[in-house]
Amino acid sequence: MTRKISILSLLLISTFSVSISSAVIAASDENLTVYSTRKEHLIKPLFDAFTAKTGIKVAYLTGKGGALIERIKLEGKRTKADIFMTVDAGNLWYASTQNLFQAADSELIESNIPSHLRDPDGLWTGLSVRARTIIYSTERVDPNELSTYQDLANAKWEGRLCLRTSKKVYTKSLVSSLIYHDGIEKTTEVVKGWVKNLAATPHAEDVHIMTSILAGQCDVGIVNSYYFGRLQAEDPNVPLKLFWANQDSSGTHVNISGAGIVKHSSSPSEALELLEFLSSIEAQKIYVGLNKEYPASQKLKADNLIAVWGDFNQDKMNLSVAGEKQAESVSLMQREGYK
Amino acid sequence: MKSKQNNSNFLMGMLALSVSFPIIVVCSAWFFPGTELWGHFAENLLPELISSTLLLLVGVGIGVSILGTVLAYLVVMVEFPGRSWLEWALFLPFAIPAYVLAFVYLGVFDYSGYAQVWLREYTGMPGFDIRAGSWAIILTFTLVFYPYVYMMARASFKRQKIQMIEAGKMLGAKPFEVFWRISVPLARPAIAAGLLVTLMETLADFGVVSLFNYSTFTTAIYSAWGDFRSIEVAAQLASILVLIAFFLIYFEKKARGKAKYYSSDVSHVRPYEANGLIGWLLFVLVFGVFMLSFAMPMLQLIIWSLEKYGEELSVMYSGYFSATGILTVTATILTVAVATLLALPSRRKAESKTLQMLIRFSTLGYALPGSVMAVGLLYGVQNISLVSIYLGGQSINHILFGSVALLLFAYISRFMAIAYNSTSASSEQIKPVYEQSARLLGSSRIRLIREVYLPMMTPGILAGGLLVAVDVMKELPATYLLRPFGWDTLAIRVFELSSEGLYDRAAIPALMMVFIGAIIMLLFIKLDSDKY
Repeated sequence: MTRKISILSLLLISTFSVSISSAVIAASDENLTVYSTRKEHLIKPLFDAFTAKTGIKVAYLTGKGGALIERIKLEGKRTKADIFMTVDAGNLWYASTQNLFQAADSELIESNIPSHLRDPDGLWTGLSVRARTIIYSTERVDPNELSTYQDLANAKWEGRLCLRTSKKVYTKSLVSSLIYHDGIEKTTEVVKGWVKNLAATPHAEDVHIMTSILAGQCDVGIVNSYYFGRLQAEDPNVPLKLFWANQDSSGTHVNISGAGIVKHSSSPSEALELLEFLSSIEAQKIYVGLNKEYPASQKLKADNLIAVWGDFNQDKMNLSVAGEKQAESVSLMQREGYK
Repeated sequence: MKSKQNNSNFLMGMLALSVSFPIIVVCSAWFFPGTELWGHFAENLLPELISSTLLLLVGVGIGVSILGTVLAYLVVMVEFPGRSWLEWALFLPFAIPAYVLAFVYLGVFDYSGYAQVWLREYTGMPGFDIRAGSWAIILTFTLVFYPYVYMMARASFKRQKIQMIEAGKMLGAKPFEVFWRISVPLARPAIAAGLLVTLMETLADFGVVSLFNYSTFTTAIYSAWGDFRSIEVAAQLASILVLIAFFLIYFEKKARGKAKYYSSDVSHVRPYEANGLIGWLLFVLVFGVFMLSFAMPMLQLIIWSLEKYGEELSVMYSGYFSATGILTVTATILTVAVATLLALPSRRKAESKTLQMLIRFSTLGYALPGSVMAVGLLYGVQNISLVSIYLGGQSINHILFGSVALLLFAYISRFMAIAYNSTSASSEQIKPVYEQSARLLGSSRIRLIREVYLPMMTPGILAGGLLVAVDVMKELPATYLLRPFGWDTLAIRVFELSSEGLYDRAAIPALMMVFIGAIIMLLFIKLDSDKY
């Protein structure tokens, strides 16, 4: 009997909470709302700083890229999203092709963020930069042996290379940039060579690439700069170093996290305010401090990072290309068996 | 009388149909052709993906069947040292999300992990990549999912009449023969049910196969969606998973056999006793499984969390707890309620093959990758809105998107399989004579349900509730997409941290999930032992 009563009361609680939830959603209309594929611990400090400065509160919903984009599309005109924030230019480009964004006309953003890190039509802007470059074991590799991404396909690296899986968007964008610079035939040869040189199944995480190199499973790899930054912060003597690839040719491949104003946003002017804030020096400093990324703003130099890693030439390819060529690069990798 | 029965069939059919909603949406993608992409996939990906998926299913199937059944048999039929607490301890791996176990295993056993580093130092054995080939991922899935088979087989073994086993012994059968020729065949339906659920979850898995970078069918689904931006082809591929699951269900029915295994006795006496060396050998074996599947990962999680709890713990955690708690409790109650309703024995239902097919179809949501199902649900709601607008009404998207109601619906649709498997296994054990006697005595159907069926189905209802609760707690992709603002669960926290490589911080919410899972377990033990 008591069990039945408790079950009944639980059922009542559940219906009650269902009805509360609708009310909660309605209340959040007063804030700016950001849909983000960047995780909470990386975006909350930025929004807190914005609220402290302007008084505008920011509600946010984190999620996975593809699914979140579908949701905004389906929400249509009544979407609650004001800003869509994501990582990797490929995702930003795709969102723009799905008519998710409205053009942000802002001289401030245009002067803060260099053009190759922004959508040519102003639909989205990059906000932080990460370099995807070569990492090597200082114990087993002489930096004079290193030069380009393409060179890692060379037979001298056989059994010594660790790479990220082709399923991760960072790899797709890198290969897209190679296709852009070298064409598809040359890039096919490069990917073939990479696959031959692999010391292990392509890794699911950059962090694992670094631990593999440290354990001796491989000697070189390609990682995002900030993962190494984090590792180095925990262990300053770690026997790994970053090597800036392609300095004498196209420049090191970079990618961005970025955002754009949602087309059917109900508060576009406040959304623009947030976007401008994120491109300002104050916010850019937070990006650098939080996750050891490079600022997208050309008005801020990441002095501490540069002091440790040295300055480098960025690939100036407009990053929307990474998105445009994504299907091509994935087809290539799937054909050549690069997992 | 007749029209009442027809009504109940119709109602059950409608219920099953509505639970099937996201599955139907996904399967309807076949109305949209996507030829070019299929060509590229067929040439470059599908052959390898199909064979690796089949290999995985077969390997994991064999693994969990053997491991789950043997463990359940030992724990029910044989008295050996440590049996009493190991019986419950073997349930615990349930509470850890599969991909958390996977990254602990990789962390410990891969080239750069403790185990191989130690081996290289002390034996000079060369290192190796455990992600190459399929044996390691099969082993991982086996250790993650054996509890499903264990649980079902254990319940079944407990209900076996002690007299049958004693008869076998008296006729001179050795212990293994009794196991293989008496107990296992009787437990076949239960083992098959556990196996079915395992294989469906393996098909739908995304986390473990990502960490191992093992390409399965789901790889093509996500590639079609994310790389080639063809959600139609992604849904078409996903519906093939539904088809595979349908076949699995068909085979499971065959495995259950035509015979109905009625049993109402419960034995407390264990027919076998293992003393001395053999007893301790069994202990080592069973304890070994417990170590690998639970104790060792827990130890790693605890070590990690000790380093990072200061950094990670915050006021946000009260929110994570309440979100996890509310969603888990309500989803469990609703899902089990629906599963119980659909499992209630009924003569009319037994006569309607269509209804039975429909009910079985409604359980297929379990085989769909979570993201696919969640997006399918959104598209389904959009279609309803379009119809509503066409009829002069309004769109309902903004009401439903991000509501608890829609998320709960997704959970019901997703986890029907496990709840229904459990409740139907229970209801199938109810002899028809009860309904006949009740009718003769003039009892109404409601009274029959309340006073006869429900009490007899309670073990299945409880077991189903336990499984659903733990699965809802661990659920990620549907929760991620459909949750209301600010309703982050512990599972989401684990994902967000671990996907950024912050495994040590992720250990803290992971441990909390295990803690909640253990509480659910204890609840189940308490309720279960009231019966036995």
